[in-house]
Amino acid sequence: MSAAPKIDNPLFDKRLLNAFAEGVTKTLQMMANTQVTFGKPTIENNYVLRGQVAGIVGMTAPPLRGQLTLSFPKDAILLIIENMLGEKNTEITQEVCDAVGELTNMIYGTAKTSLNQLGYNFEMALPTVIHGEFTTDFKGITLVMPVKLNATTEFFVGISVS
Amino acid sequence: MFPTSTRFLVVDDFATMRKIIKKTLIELGYTNIEEADDGATALPLVQKAHAEGKPFGFVISDWNMPKMQGIDFLKACRADEKFKLLPFMLVTAESEQKQILEAAKAGVSDYVVKPFNSATLRGKLEKVYAKVSQNPVAKAS
Repeated sequence: MSAAPKIDNPLFDKRLLNAFAEGVTKTLQMMANTQVTFGKPTIENNYVLRGQVAGIVGMTAPPLRGQLTLSFPKDAILLIIENMLGEKNTEITQEVCDAVGELTNMIYGTAKTSLNQLGYNFEMALPTVIHGEFTTDFKGITLVMPVKLNATTEFFVGISVS
Repeated sequence: MFPTSTRFLVVDDFATMRKIIKKTLIELGYTNIEEADDGATALPLVQKAHAEGKPFGFVISDWNMPKMQGIDFLKACRADEKFKLLPFMLVTAESEQKQILEAAKAGVSDYVVKPFNSATLRGKLEKVYAKVSQNPVAKAS
């Protein structure tokens, strides 16, 4: 294993972003037979989650502390669940929230494996899911990557570091 | 392959993953499937099923769960003479070398890394069956 990358802000480490993009692509392709494309990433100082439901997992790789958030508008998560389980939902139910948690877990797990091979030292953590009124008390900057499921449906991956 | 009457226990804290695994097992012809949401709930089920004379023939468990993790559930099973040879597969997002080694050392039958598709899960089941078939003691238990 190589030494931990010496980068002031990991959000500028292209390999970190690629690892999360790969996690999203691989998870949705394998579990939901869904191909995705990525929109232009942006950096936000005060990240506001988008959509109606989000999966959040704390990323700890001392001295780095961060957070991965996957935030889904209703149409995006319902489409993914239909592709993944063959179930048609019309509302954000407990089952939908559960699927968001599992997707967050898989995407983080896939990215973490790639990143640790690059010399990071991320630990596994249990994700949490929030829906309804969105707030996040994480202080730091966030890189936001839109993930497009089709021409009109997208969700957002947020990678925050403090 | 394992007979379609094989009794499966699927353990995961996320109902979504239990549904995905169950869906694949049903596609393969298995209908005798029970679920648990972590190792702490699953272990007494394994013990009870054995005591009642209807033992599980295969356990598929997540690794990263609250209360009792999959690896600890596996170790608890292997520590009991009755479940030393119980086919036990870990399904997990943990795919680093140290985790794989830990699972192998604890006596896992095989290991599926998430994300996966149904073909991968089927292939792993076949692989475990091939191992079990080569071990007449395990086959008989």
